[in-house]
Amino acid sequence: MLNALKKIYRNTLFRLSLLGAILFVVALFIALGNVYFLTISSEIRRVDKTLVTEIGEFQTILNEANIIALRQEVFLRSASGDGLYVLISKNPDGEDVPTGNLTLRVVKKESSEESIIPEGAARNMTRTNFILVEPATDSQPERERRIRGLAGPLKVGDVNGALILVARDVEPTMRTAERVKSAILTSSAIALLLGLLSSWYVSRRFTRRVEAFNRLATDVRAGHLDRRAPRNYSEDEMDLLAEHLNDMLDHIDRLMKAMRYAGDSIAHDLRSPLTRLRTRLEGAAAEMEDEAASDILFAAADDASGLLKTFDSVLRIARLEAGERREFLSEIDPKLILDDMAELYAPACEDQDLRFTDDIQTGHKISADRGLISQAVSNLVENAIKYTPKGGAIHLSLTRNPHGRTVIAVTDTGPGIPEAARQRVKERFVRLDKSRSLPGSGLGLALVDAIADLHRAQFTLADGSIKADDKSAGESLGLTASIAFPRLRSGRSMDSRGREKKVMAKREADALPKPI
Amino acid sequence: MRILVVEDDDIAAEYVRKGLMEAGHVVDLAPDGELGLEMARATDYDAMILDRMLPKRDGMSVLAEMRDDGDKTPVLILSALGEVDQKVEGLRAGGDDYLAKPYSFTELLARVEAIGRRSDPTAAVTKLKCGDLEMDLLARTVKRSGKNILLQPREFRLLECLMRNAGRVVTRTMLLEKVWDYHFDPQTNVIDVHISRLRGKIDKEFEEPLLHTVRGAGYRLQV
Repeated sequence: MLNALKKIYRNTLFRLSLLGAILFVVALFIALGNVYFLTISSEIRRVDKTLVTEIGEFQTILNEANIIALRQEVFLRSASGDGLYVLISKNPDGEDVPTGNLTLRVVKKESSEESIIPEGAARNMTRTNFILVEPATDSQPERERRIRGLAGPLKVGDVNGALILVARDVEPTMRTAERVKSAILTSSAIALLLGLLSSWYVSRRFTRRVEAFNRLATDVRAGHLDRRAPRNYSEDEMDLLAEHLNDMLDHIDRLMKAMRYAGDSIAHDLRSPLTRLRTRLEGAAAEMEDEAASDILFAAADDASGLLKTFDSVLRIARLEAGERREFLSEIDPKLILDDMAELYAPACEDQDLRFTDDIQTGHKISADRGLISQAVSNLVENAIKYTPKGGAIHLSLTRNPHGRTVIAVTDTGPGIPEAARQRVKERFVRLDKSRSLPGSGLGLALVDAIADLHRAQFTLADGSIKADDKSAGESLGLTASIAFPRLRSGRSMDSRGREKKVMAKREADALPKPI
Repeated sequence: MRILVVEDDDIAAEYVRKGLMEAGHVVDLAPDGELGLEMARATDYDAMILDRMLPKRDGMSVLAEMRDDGDKTPVLILSALGEVDQKVEGLRAGGDDYLAKPYSFTELLARVEAIGRRSDPTAAVTKLKCGDLEMDLLARTVKRSGKNILLQPREFRLLECLMRNAGRVVTRTMLLEKVWDYHFDPQTNVIDVHISRLRGKIDKEFEEPLLHTVRGAGYRLQV
């Protein structure tokens, strides 16, 4: 789940459209906030202004008349209109007497102060908010109403003549404010959700088309040069990209064909004269009375074929590298191939005074071409025979490595290959100084490497792991040449490599022993 | 055998003709595909050597035309294209054998004689015989002078291949292809080693050797 989210988030288009969606939501939020400010806040400000005006009016009455007139005015206003009032003034006995319509109501205060008139009100104008509890009547349950008030002293000369609290019921306004607030939040949330959804949808649509390109690239790399990007002819940028890719692939295809044709025609043009040369030499050799001379002619005839064989090998490696034959791979048990190989080469090894052993295990399946694998193993075994001194040993094995990959390995007790040269010997025509005296073209390991690559297998050279029988063979390191095949994936083609790699990595992880 | 050689390279064709005639065959030459097809239709040849790349009409289409007509003449395809895929393609198109250039003449001769009409390798024989060496293909037994010889399965197939071509040269490449089904040339003497083991079993205790090495060519089983 988390991985799926991560994968979505990695998508460029998803991130871009998500950014767009977020910007839109922010803009929406600002616009709605402005609406709120213009409607609700101004209403509250209007109430505040009314309260200030009213207190001013009371002060004027007190200034121009007396406290009795003020009480009457408060009483009057309390009885009519929507104002709420408390006037606290002293009676002739010097006791505080409250006047107004708020005195009898049940008030729930928002602050902890005891009186609904806040403490500071005796000195300054003080704002006060409280909740008025309307007791339940027959027609309606108990109701709470938010009240916004302003309290302050009314002066007679320089002395506090009375305390006044003027308030308005702001419940409807506050209700509206709440509704507007929740509307703002809800619509922003909906906009954000829609933004997310559209980002996901857009990126998915886009990704599908990009994936088609990725699949194409994988398939082309797998040797299917005939594949082309799907087009919808909408002439949009993806369609144009597809068109350009297809043009490019056509071009590559043409170049490949031209190269192959050139290679084939060179091979063809060399073959006929070489055949003639060979036939002439053989004919001459057969007619020769002198055996030594005829041997030389036979050897010359073999050299003529050797020339072309080398050229063939180069062509074959080039073709393998182009991945042409990858589509011919099929699921096979490598044991059958290796059993045949062991059977073919065991006598040859014994003939060279080399001990041949094998460890060919059952139950392996690889996606491979029998001919190519035979050729690769044959090259490795022949190399081993060629370089291992008499009294040495050669071991052919088919095993599973700790990662669960099938590994074909040929180990010998020969001189080995220095670590620094191991990568180099896989290249074409590279021969180490030691081997220059022996026959060979320097293409054997390059061919094995190309074959391994075609099978997406890994060809590695390492120190040998077996000991020669004959102690006089010295302390040679020996050589282990191994080909590690990828794990076989059921029900999937060899295409779309990236995805498969992931599956492989996952399976490899699964194959490892679990920590206890 | 009467053999038709369809090859556009005059010099090569002449050498092949000369070689085959020396081996006791009657040879007709055709320099291009059209003529080759005409001659193949006109005469009932025992075998045909057909180059793939020919002027006027290429070898593969000549072969396809012949097979469409129901002509079963054994055909050895000769080609400058030596890739395994192309070999398979050639054999699938109805060729009986495929030889890539440059070939040695002995290889060509051995293969033509092997596919030739007089030695139909697909014939339903159950017993092979060469001198006092007998092979029972059903019981999978080999006897020489009435004495049982125990062979490994592969040695049995090796001997079978030699016995089916008794009296004719079988090359190392042919053995590798027919007995092991490998289409590449080993650099070492693997086949020689197997032959020498087989020789140890069938020839060692007997006076007259049957399995002969033909220098520069291959092996021949002969009395």
